[in-house]
Amino acid sequence: MGDREQYTPGPASGAQIRKDGDKWTLILVRELRHSPEKVWRALTEPTHLREWAPFEADGSLGTVGNTVKLTTVGAPAPLVTETRVTRADAPKMLEYNWGDHDMRWELETFGGGTRLTLWTNIGRRFIAMGAAGWHICFDVLDHLLGGTPIGRMVGPEAMKCGWQRLNAEYAKQFGIRAPNWPSKGTQEP
Amino acid sequence: MKIKMTSVYVDDQDKALRFYTEVLGFAKKTDFSQGPYRWLTVASPEEPDGTELQLALNNNPAAKAYQQALFQQSQPAAIFFTDNIKGDYQRIKGRGTEFTMSPTDVTGSTIAMLKDTCGNLIQLTQLARHSR
Repeated sequence: MGDREQYTPGPASGAQIRKDGDKWTLILVRELRHSPEKVWRALTEPTHLREWAPFEADGSLGTVGNTVKLTTVGAPAPLVTETRVTRADAPKMLEYNWGDHDMRWELETFGGGTRLTLWTNIGRRFIAMGAAGWHICFDVLDHLLGGTPIGRMVGPEAMKCGWQRLNAEYAKQFGIRAPNWPSKGTQEP
Repeated sequence: MKIKMTSVYVDDQDKALRFYTEVLGFAKKTDFSQGPYRWLTVASPEEPDGTELQLALNNNPAAKAYQQALFQQSQPAAIFFTDNIKGDYQRIKGRGTEFTMSPTDVTGSTIAMLKDTCGNLIQLTQLARHSR
């Protein structure tokens, strides 16, 4: 087991944002020292997703055409959305939606491991929050793949361990105002 | 314990935010998301740390059925107090809002009812003791 108490996320890095018309896309890249096959399992199988992802899946995301219910974890109310896997080219490309977010994962062989890229559309005002949340999820994924799992950290667990700093760092990198969570009484235009 | 939060279901959170801020005049208080989940609240600028109103997405069948049943029976989903109901009526109506009841004297208060464009009736209430 890894040491959850010792975990602190590193500085914000590996994220870009892109704007196409009104649509904002968050692009996250993470290099992992594990094979694409191993990373693919962690991205698609419910028992693996449960260890790191911000949602529960009630079926495999690894087969095109599969209909899977995704349930948010740690949100004030669990939100269940049904997704349909639209692309599953193991172990290279995976596409489905999470509510109104399109999720596109690319796995490229990189050295002895995998360069993982996630494209997801997300509203501008939430884009730094999303980058911060995925950053922590990817750290947890990295520990999981390395055999030293530290346990899923989403919602309140993420907020305890550096999410707010990452949120501010990504907001700065993206050139957007730091979102108003959790300070009270402030407003965005 | 304190009552600091209440909620209404809305069919579109972006549309609801525009209506509750730009038309009714409330201010956004908290807005964050976790994946597709969005926690969105507004508060009155007259009472920024007062009770918040959560604009909750009616994304489940029970929420939709409840919201529609209230609406069909002319029941308000929420009631806001004002000390100037005639002025608020003119202001909100002037922004294109449909009222199903103009300010009407009832026992102990004057009330009006408007459509929030997100599936709800909202009642405005001015208590008689607050009349100008």
